[in-house]
Amino acid sequence: MTLSRRNFVKQGLALTFTVAGKPLLLTPREAHAAEVPFSVLSAQEAGTLRAVCEGLAPGAAEGGAAHFVDQQLGVDPDHSLLFIKYFNVQPPYVDFYRAALSAIRRLSEATFGAEVAALKAEDAKALLQSLRDDKAADWDGPPAPLVYQVLRNDAVDVVYGDREGFASLDLPYLAHIEPPPAWRQ
Amino acid sequence: MRRAEKTDVVIVGSGAAGSVYAALLAEAGKSVVVLERGPARKLTDLYSSQIWARRLKWGAPHVLDEGRDSIWHNFNAGHGYGGAAVHHFGIWPRFHPEDLRERTLYGKGRDWPLDYEQLRPYYDQVQEEVGLSGDAEQEIWRPPGAPYPLPPLPVFQQGRLAARGFAALDLPTAPIPAAILSRPYKGRPACLYDAWCDAGCPTGALANPLVEYLPRALKAGAALRPDSHATRVLLDASGERASGVEYFDGKGERREQPADLVILAAFPVENARLLLNSAAGKHAAGLGNASGLLGRCLMTHPAVNIFGMFKEETRCWEGVTGGQLFSQHAFAKDQSQRAFGSRQWVLGLGLKPNDLLGVAMSRADLFGADLHRFMKRGSRHLGAMIGSCESLPEETNRIELAPQRDRFGMPLARAVFDAGDNGRALWRQAVDEGLKIFRAAGATEVWRSPPVGQHVLGGTLMGKDPATSVVNEYAQLHDAPNVVIGGPGVFPTSSAVNPTFTVHALAMRSARRLASHWGQFVC
Repeated sequence: MTLSRRNFVKQGLALTFTVAGKPLLLTPREAHAAEVPFSVLSAQEAGTLRAVCEGLAPGAAEGGAAHFVDQQLGVDPDHSLLFIKYFNVQPPYVDFYRAALSAIRRLSEATFGAEVAALKAEDAKALLQSLRDDKAADWDGPPAPLVYQVLRNDAVDVVYGDREGFASLDLPYLAHIEPPPAWRQ
Repeated sequence: MRRAEKTDVVIVGSGAAGSVYAALLAEAGKSVVVLERGPARKLTDLYSSQIWARRLKWGAPHVLDEGRDSIWHNFNAGHGYGGAAVHHFGIWPRFHPEDLRERTLYGKGRDWPLDYEQLRPYYDQVQEEVGLSGDAEQEIWRPPGAPYPLPPLPVFQQGRLAARGFAALDLPTAPIPAAILSRPYKGRPACLYDAWCDAGCPTGALANPLVEYLPRALKAGAALRPDSHATRVLLDASGERASGVEYFDGKGERREQPADLVILAAFPVENARLLLNSAAGKHAAGLGNASGLLGRCLMTHPAVNIFGMFKEETRCWEGVTGGQLFSQHAFAKDQSQRAFGSRQWVLGLGLKPNDLLGVAMSRADLFGADLHRFMKRGSRHLGAMIGSCESLPEETNRIELAPQRDRFGMPLARAVFDAGDNGRALWRQAVDEGLKIFRAAGATEVWRSPPVGQHVLGGTLMGKDPATSVVNEYAQLHDAPNVVIGGPGVFPTSSAVNPTFTVHALAMRSARRLASHWGQFVC
């Protein structure tokens, strides 16, 4: 066997999104930039997810965290790339996300009188701290620290988990199997 | 329902144990069918990404992880050709002789039905076949055995920094014994030290099942069937012997695979689940459960990840995932009045930015700008080592069937685990020592992870006495000798070491016995 990191087939983090009925292989960042419609989450749910992820890991919104999660919620759980797989959560994972996102929205509106996306930075930080520390008032979603961990790791994945993320940390990627061109049809 | 042509052997699971059984029995001339619940997979499917690596894990977990402490089932288990061994880190220490005689020597735990000298030739043969790297002389704690066929893996900056702490406290370390090639070996290349082991090594340097035993099995004529969801061991008309396996194929169609010999080599929880779900006739409490111990004595290694931020660059992104050095200086089980059992350290873990063992999760409390500042520094200056502790075989820790069912109507499993006072005390010792070591190494900040469950063992214990164990020394069910259990589920004690080497050695020993005494199993 003579395989090395330089001569493997090219593959990477592009995912299949559906645009105007046609499947496109895009990175989550590209899907966000192209404003690809969400296929599982509602626009409101996706908006909450995007804002929460941005608060957890700056850059996650433009990195396409909401599109990443939305696309992955539409695939067979056995093939899911979501961090939630590690936890003791039974699929379909969309049930967890819907319950979490609606509870966050209610918490934000009850506590600060606005949706997460409209919060001032210090209020958004306080909201995320309350999830992390399990101190969210009248919380009625899945366990708040679990919600924090799941969404935080989704955000971390899109910000730091691919080649661009490694580069942002000045880390060599050293792939055995190289990422693909940005997207292809 | 379709009933396939009868085969000599049907194996459930294509991981560490299943691949060894498949290769050796097929090479002995037996017809072998392997049923793998997950998808077919080849080396070039193993993308260098911690995100893509999650395809190697279960997505529709059939285990409810319950009890005071978690066994971290969904992290430890695997999915698809090669099972959990595809994403295992290739750290292969041997069990010690005293691990196999705990009841006799200490009045704790259990005795294995075989001793170290009976297992030793198989350790030696497996390491020769797959190519282990290490330094037997530097392992002052190493049980007797042939020297490693390959020199040790190189030690990188992170490993050197961690070793500095051990040296300052006069604690020994040694190069880690690894099923990772430090030199080209039998046509396979040496490691590139890019620390992508957790994503599955596609180069062939790490001896996962896709590299060694599954290719051998296929070459010898074994058939692998992916997307095959085993649900039950079938019994013959007498109700005493297994006649095959019931499973559902990728289209959801129920099938039967008749066989003379059934080998359950899925993950420990799944093996117990299958046996419990095979209750019928004379085996009303579950196949192999005459002792009442089927599913009992579930174990994991209570572990802690010690982190340190160093002034020096650690280059923690290079090396191998599982560690560069290790220490068993705290292996003596009775060294402490406070807790019984062995401990082990692995030093210099390869770290990528994301995922469960990544840089970001080392400070799971940070988010926003604080997280980004930490990531910039931690991805270049972080050091990590893992302390693993022994878990005692307590019958209250168990695998049982849950009321909930999967899409094939099979009950899910409940995995109930509590590390107990002893396990928590042993873990606390590891925490205290680990923090001290990293401070001595010069780390400017030192912290630890919460308790984690590393590896899953037990549930189908081996033993001499059918009244107090589930399988015999060759991993055959006492109640139905033509059913064999593969994997760490048969371990009567957990030790504190990584189980994969011992899984291979036990499977090789059992497979050789099955092949040479075939007539005793097949009537």
